[in-house]
Order: sequence, then C-alpha cells, then structure tokens
Amino acid sequence: MFLLLLQNAIADALNSSEWVFPIAECFHIAAFAWSIGLIAIVDLRLFGVGIGHSTPPQILKATAPWTLIGLAVVLLSGPILFLSDPRMYLHNPSFVFKMYALALAIIFNYTIHRKVASSDSSSQGVRVLVGAVSLALWVSVVFGGLFIAFA
Amino acid sequence: MILELFQWLQSLDFMTFIRESGLEYPIVMSTHLACIAVFGGMIVITDLRLLGVVLTERSIADVVNGLRWWKRIGFVIMFSMGFTLFGSKAAEYYPNPYFWVKMSCLTLVLIHALIFRPLVYNHPEELDASPVIPTRAKVAAALSLFLWTAVLCNGRLIGYYEPPQQKGHVVTQAAGPQ
Repeated sequence: MFLLLLQNAIADALNSSEWVFPIAECFHIAAFAWSIGLIAIVDLRLFGVGIGHSTPPQILKATAPWTLIGLAVVLLSGPILFLSDPRMYLHNPSFVFKMYALALAIIFNYTIHRKVASSDSSSQGVRVLVGAVSLALWVSVVFGGLFIAFA
Repeated sequence: MILELFQWLQSLDFMTFIRESGLEYPIVMSTHLACIAVFGGMIVITDLRLLGVVLTERSIADVVNGLRWWKRIGFVIMFSMGFTLFGSKAAEYYPNPYFWVKMSCLTLVLIHALIFRPLVYNHPEELDASPVIPTRAKVAAALSLFLWTAVLCNGRLIGYYEPPQQKGHVVTQAAGPQ
C-alpha cells in the first residue's frame, strides 16, 4: 500500500511537466547510442575489422570505462521513464522482453564477451561468434524498447 | 507546393503499405534506432578521438579510417529507414516543427561534411603528425557532436508534436509517433 502511494507520488512528480519524459528519453537514446556504439567497435575488432593496428584487448581496454559511463546514464534515465507509469510498463510484453534481453546483454558483456575480448589467444571462430551474439543481444534490447510504444 | 509533394509521396503504394502495416512500421523504426545505436555511437567516438578525449592510445588515422566505411554503411541504412518513416506519414510531418528543425540540422551536417572532409576527415595522418591536435579538427568534432545531438533530440521530439486542433490532451507516457 505504501509502495503504491510512493509509486504514484513519483509518477505524479515525473508527469508534472510534459518535458521530463522526452528529455529523459533523449538522454536515454544518446547514452545507449554511445555505449552500444563503443561495444560495437569492440565487436568489429572481434570480427577482425574496424579500428586497425590494434588487438581486441587493446580496444576493449580503451573503451570499457567509457562504455560503463554510458551504461550508467542509460540505467539512470531508464528508470525515470519506467517510473512515470510503472503499471503500464509491467504489463507491456515488449518491456518485459526488453528487461530479459537487457539482463542477458549486460551479463554476457561482462562475462563471456569480456573474457574473449580481453584474451590475445582466443580463436578467430570464437571471437566472431561472441561479437555476433553481442551485437544481436544489444540490437534486441533496442527493438524491445521501441516496441513498448507499439505493444 | 511542398505539402502537395509530401501528400504525393505518402500516397505511393509502398508508403501506404508501411503506414497501414502492423509490424513493418515499428520494425523500420527499430532498425532506424538500432543504426543510431551501433553506427551513431561510432560518429561520437570518432569526434571524441579528434577532441583527444577517448582512444588516445590509438592513432587518429586508425580510428577515422577504421570506422569510415562502417559509418557510411550505417548512414545508408539509417537514412533509408528514416526516409521510409517520413514518407509513410509525410503529410503529418509537414506541420511538425521538430521535423523541420531536424531537417535543417541534417542540412548543416551535409555542409559540415563538405567543409571538413577535405580539411580534417580525409587527412587523418596529417592530424597525427601534428604535435597537438589542430584546432580545425577540434572545431569539426565539436560541431559534429552538437549537430548530431540536435538531430537525435529533434528526431525523438517529432513523436511528441500534436497538431493545434488536438491541444489540451496531455502527454504522460511514451507516445508512438502518431
């Protein structure tokens, strides 16, 4: 009951201005473009293309802190969007899909992806596979997010 | 004149099909957004490299040359998807101020490319040879970041515009671009 009241209070605050939601959304989109773009650069290097004269571990090391900053902005702006109308989101199948895809993408990124990308000795086949899975996961998160508005 | 052109574009079979489709329309839009994520991020990273912020241990030439074709491929997909989204609802976009701001920013992006490709992006080796990153490269990068951010934000805001006769209706949640 208390949680419900708190939830309504937060939603009311967020909905008090018609600009809060769109601005949070712009931050959300710009930040995921930033972090997914950085991850994609690592993935390209896993495919053996992209930024030349470098190994996947070098690219991962150079991009990882910036990716994390981007993800932090994504994960701060996302809940603002969610809290504007939690019940709608929880009942939205695209939102639920997006949350599973996001959890998988983040876990994959910081376990298998990091392990393979930071190793100088991983085989080319494994690298290509991991890069492809990484891209597919992040693109599904974006698709899931957009489909929230169409579910 | 422009409105008539937009109405004609929207009336084409393909555009009508997209507008009246179920899944195709959001799929086109998701692809547009996914391109912003994967390839738009590369634009940002190239510019921040020119500003000397990220990837400083890699040469400018490696970053600019290595990502050039990926950004081009991404731009072609992003542009085709964006044009399809616009074309399918062109007459509705006509009165939308955010649409026109976005188009103006994209025109400035084009002018930016005409000016700074010969000066900066086509000669990254010269930038690496300089002891400090030349001012023209930093100006190009800062302008590019500003313009693309403006394109992105105005692009999203297109979906929030309501024509005057519908005023009074308060937007409280994710509005699909109607």
